[in-house]
Amino acid sequence: MKDIYELLNDANVDDNEFEEMAVTESEKTKVKSVLKKAITKKKRVSWKMKSLAVAMTVGLSVTTLGLAFPASAGNIPIIGDIFRFLDNEKTGLYDNYKEYSTAMNMSQESRGIKVTINDAIFDGKTVAITYSIESEKDLGDDITTFGSPDIKGAKGMAGSSKISKVDDYHYVGLYRATPIDLAPIGKESVDIKWNLDSFIRPDTTEKVKGNWKFTFSLNATDSRVQLSNQSTEQNGVTVAIEKVSFTPMSFIVYYNQEVSKKVSDKWHGVDAELEIKDDLGNIYLGVNNGGSGKDSYNMSRSNTFEKLDPNASKLIITPRIRSYDSTNSGGVEFTKNGPKEILKPVKSGVGNEEFVMEDIVIELEK
Amino acid sequence: MKSTDRNFIKRLQHQEEDALEFVVDIYLPIIKGITYKVLIPLKNEGVIEECINDIFLSIWNNSKKFNGDSTDFRKWISAIAKFKAIDYYRKASKEMEFSSDYMDLNADLSAEDELIMLEDRTELIQLINQLEPVEREIFIMKFFLGLKTEEISRKLGLTKASIDNRVYRGKKKLTKKVTTLELGESRV
Repeated sequence: MKDIYELLNDANVDDNEFEEMAVTESEKTKVKSVLKKAITKKKRVSWKMKSLAVAMTVGLSVTTLGLAFPASAGNIPIIGDIFRFLDNEKTGLYDNYKEYSTAMNMSQESRGIKVTINDAIFDGKTVAITYSIESEKDLGDDITTFGSPDIKGAKGMAGSSKISKVDDYHYVGLYRATPIDLAPIGKESVDIKWNLDSFIRPDTTEKVKGNWKFTFSLNATDSRVQLSNQSTEQNGVTVAIEKVSFTPMSFIVYYNQEVSKKVSDKWHGVDAELEIKDDLGNIYLGVNNGGSGKDSYNMSRSNTFEKLDPNASKLIITPRIRSYDSTNSGGVEFTKNGPKEILKPVKSGVGNEEFVMEDIVIELEK
Repeated sequence: MKSTDRNFIKRLQHQEEDALEFVVDIYLPIIKGITYKVLIPLKNEGVIEECINDIFLSIWNNSKKFNGDSTDFRKWISAIAKFKAIDYYRKASKEMEFSSDYMDLNADLSAEDELIMLEDRTELIQLINQLEPVEREIFIMKFFLGLKTEEISRKLGLTKASIDNRVYRGKKKLTKKVTTLELGESRV
């Protein structure tokens, strides 16, 4: 006798009559995570039975059996690759992060909320940490953490933090930070301390308090540094590539921008961004790590790009310069006597201006 | 080893999880399309989500019952999606009242047809198994995939009257078989 699924094999279905609907990556991931939970429950039982059968015939001890399936519920991440999951804009930047990151699986539970650090990675410049939150009650669609991971020895940090809701009781997050004044490159490890004491719901401004503390060290992934002394100058702006650091999952370009007085007198801000492709035609997408310098015009900066194609022999870097006036955006300084508005000097540049500089070509050392 | 469009059916049938992920990646757009089309009148995103998850779970649990290549696979899972979505629709609409513009979904079905569908499904399936191939196909399209008589007649190249006739005869067979069953007895 055939059941419905077998009968449907012969169903006369014209698949053209159905219309596909657009699906986002996070929808896919949500479906997958629900399915995974549903099937691992079933599967694990049968696996256990099988292992037990083996154990009986060859007489394995109970302790060995315990080692055979250490996948306790707490260790199964709800999302396999949080790096990719949170890369909503599909930059591809995080595609290889999971592979080279360290599985931490450190959990802390406080007031019905369990926070787990899943993976962490340090590429010599930037730290990226993924974590998941399991809560007994729904914390709302949009939450932020109060208290960020601290990197020992760093006086300032630039970075981003993101939390995304998976379902009513689960969230995943990615924290990415570049310590500004840490030894500029080649630091072999970092010590991280994260005292998380509450989550904030922006919709209700409610604070969900608790106590989750993590301390750990991270070793830098392998990296290879290639120095460069190439630069390009145009319209009073100089961009110099200082070095490129290659890691298994990314590469980081360190560069300096210098702006002549004539230009800085005209514009409130000048930013040099890099567009990178290789001799094979691959275009690399990157993220700005911020930078530091004596003023906002003259800065040492770095950008992290996605994994380099191993067959590439040249990097073609195109600096794009954007000059803008920020007359309309004011600043406020907080002093003992209360907030004080910072007045912007009037400059002759109006609106914004953009130009592309000549390419800098770096021959890659093999 | 990873699932590709060439090996995913085998891997799915061997219950390799990555094959299920592959199926979600490739077929979620079509499954979502089918489910939304049937269930959108319910105005309940939760039911739609639940139904989509259920569809994939059924594909996983019943993958061994599929035979054919990837073109057939697309048809097979589309049929499952349609069948599941209609199932959800019927269950949910029993608990819900509709304004009249949604009522035409099953306009082609008589009260008697509805009764057949509300009967224990396993019994219906058992009985469908005993029908002639063409009738069987008509029954599946009509009762599981919710197709209208015109659509079935177009697909099979039969006249509407001929379809109605076969449905009538098939139903008669069913009633005969059902009535010959003793109380509590079921036929295999």
